Amino acid sequence: MARTQDHEREQDRITDEDGVAIDSALVGENLELSYPTSEEPIVDCARLDIPEEAVTALVGPNGSGKSTLLKALSNHLEPETGTVRIHGDDLDSFSQKALARELGVLSQENDSLGSISVEDLVYHGRYPHRGFFDSVSKTDREAVERALELAGIEHLRNAELGQLSGGQKQLAWIAMVLAQDTDVLLLDEPTTFLDVHHQFRVLETIRQLNEEKGVTVAVILHDISQAARFTDYLVAMRDGELYDWGPPADVVTEQLLADVFGVEATVRYEPELQVLPKRALPDR
Amino acid sequence: MAETQSVSGQTPAQQRAGWVTGTLILFCLASTIITAIAGLVQVSFGEYSMTFLEAWRAVFNPNVIFNINAWSAFLFGTELPEMRTASIVVWELRLPRVFVGIITGATLAVSGAIFQAVTRNELASPFVLGVSSGAGFAVLATLIVFSGLASVLPLIATLGGAVAFILVYTIAWKGGTNPVRLVLAGVIVNMVFQSLQQGLFFFADDLGVVQTAVAWLTGSLTGTGWDEVRIAILPALLSCAIAIGGARQLNVLMLGERTARSLGMRVERTRFLLSVVAILAASAAIAVAGIVSFFGLVVPHIVRNTVGGDYRRLILSCLFAGPALMVVADVGARLALSGTQLPVGVVTGLVGGPYFLYLMRKQQSMGEL
Repeated sequence: MARTQDHEREQDRITDEDGVAIDSALVGENLELSYPTSEEPIVDCARLDIPEEAVTALVGPNGSGKSTLLKALSNHLEPETGTVRIHGDDLDSFSQKALARELGVLSQENDSLGSISVEDLVYHGRYPHRGFFDSVSKTDREAVERALELAGIEHLRNAELGQLSGGQKQLAWIAMVLAQDTDVLLLDEPTTFLDVHHQFRVLETIRQLNEEKGVTVAVILHDISQAARFTDYLVAMRDGELYDWGPPADVVTEQLLADVFGVEATVRYEPELQVLPKRALPDR
Repeated sequence: MAETQSVSGQTPAQQRAGWVTGTLILFCLASTIITAIAGLVQVSFGEYSMTFLEAWRAVFNPNVIFNINAWSAFLFGTELPEMRTASIVVWELRLPRVFVGIITGATLAVSGAIFQAVTRNELASPFVLGVSSGAGFAVLATLIVFSGLASVLPLIATLGGAVAFILVYTIAWKGGTNPVRLVLAGVIVNMVFQSLQQGLFFFADDLGVVQTAVAWLTGSLTGTGWDEVRIAILPALLSCAIAIGGARQLNVLMLGERTARSLGMRVERTRFLLSVVAILAASAAIAVAGIVSFFGLVVPHIVRNTVGGDYRRLILSCLFAGPALMVVADVGARLALSGTQLPVGVVTGLVGGPYFLYLMRKQQSMGEL
């Protein structure tokens, strides 16, 4: 199972540090992604793995194709070439609803909704589990309660979304995706625009979800030091291609920060991984 | 929208069981009472003069209400059994007009509410998406050019509306649609059809035809009877039932296209099917009453201001508020000027326009896409 063939030195990273092969929840192969408006493919990626029961962060500068890649992984964008498989099955083999029971997605920008209550929003997460005429079942109720608890917003259940702060709103949206009760979760920049407190609340929720329920998470993060701290694997992207892949301690190097993000930085590995950005490098 | 917070004191279990709030019940009840009163006023006045008491006694005449033959005459057009004059005036002439008002009010309101969710635009209405101008053009063309087809005018109006909507959808379609494109395409199609309408007026040589056409284009309940009830009732019942059933889909659509898709909704399909339901509802109204302006736009707004944006509440409330407002407006249209009847569309336009303006001034966020 070669993860990426972009770099030969990654060929040996198909196993974890104990030499155990890792299963992948999501696999993208030979992906070429583009939008109708663009001529050139935005993302060109031979193979991408999102390891089972782990948290993987997609990092990279703006415009490096992270969101596009995530859209392809969640079937929101049909790849020009290549396939995406979830637990071994092609995404196209699922009906829209069946897929939504396997794979939860939270988009980067969510439309502002004024008068909906948090609880009503979270109940919408049960949509893929309910038929057209089904009323709310006990399972639905339990899933919603769990989601509210996990996101730590039980006290906000009756609040209207429009009256919440940005961070609380994001937690409400996350609770909605959690209520979907999927094994795999894709989150597009869930911490951007949030204050530090809520950034950590979101990341801790993700971490907790992974540890307690074994949910596979792929998340786009902007802050590489947060990514290094909270995730099991990093996928670094540059110009629509995979730059590197692996556990943070292997991937995060001063070279990567210079190559991918264009910043000069010091990386400390002891006592724990720490990234200290210093200044922007001149444009390459 | 302070009223929508009235749920916040309840425990979660109660709230789930009851998206039906006190405000909702009160609102529907008030609407029902208004409809009933306006209806009774409507049946009490007219050329055949009778007192309130007489008229009301005729309405609640058990010999009619519990007479199967009478109902079969009303609903299936069989021969009418013998009745007293008062009963005939009320049950044959005045009451059906109230029923048509109820049906058109409910269908137009529901249609507007659905279109506002489908396009995610508060300014959408059955008529923004081309339905009205298409239907209007079809009606004019029939009256002026193909006058032989005048007997199936309702059908032609519906057909015109549907064709215009399909045109709008086709123009807006580009590997999928989005609300902005839909509304833009609607504006364009509206413009073209309206120009065609105005052009057609030049070919009308008979003043009577022009008057009929104008009555159609402004929306009028004058002279409607059980025939109109029979035409509209089935599509109205069907579309309203589906609308209530689809309220949750509408709610999910309101979350935004991408979220709806992530939740497993086939957005394009749902949007199209719900639009078809809305067209069906609007067509039922257009077929019997013509194009009642502003109604589909304003009623959902009034309702939203009172019961909140949840479509389960919104659709249900529209089913009550629409009839109330339509019947009241029609009372005004029929009785405001002695000697002549206004088209009800004139009244709804005159009242709806300023009210909408008031809403726009009051609400900062209105009309955002």
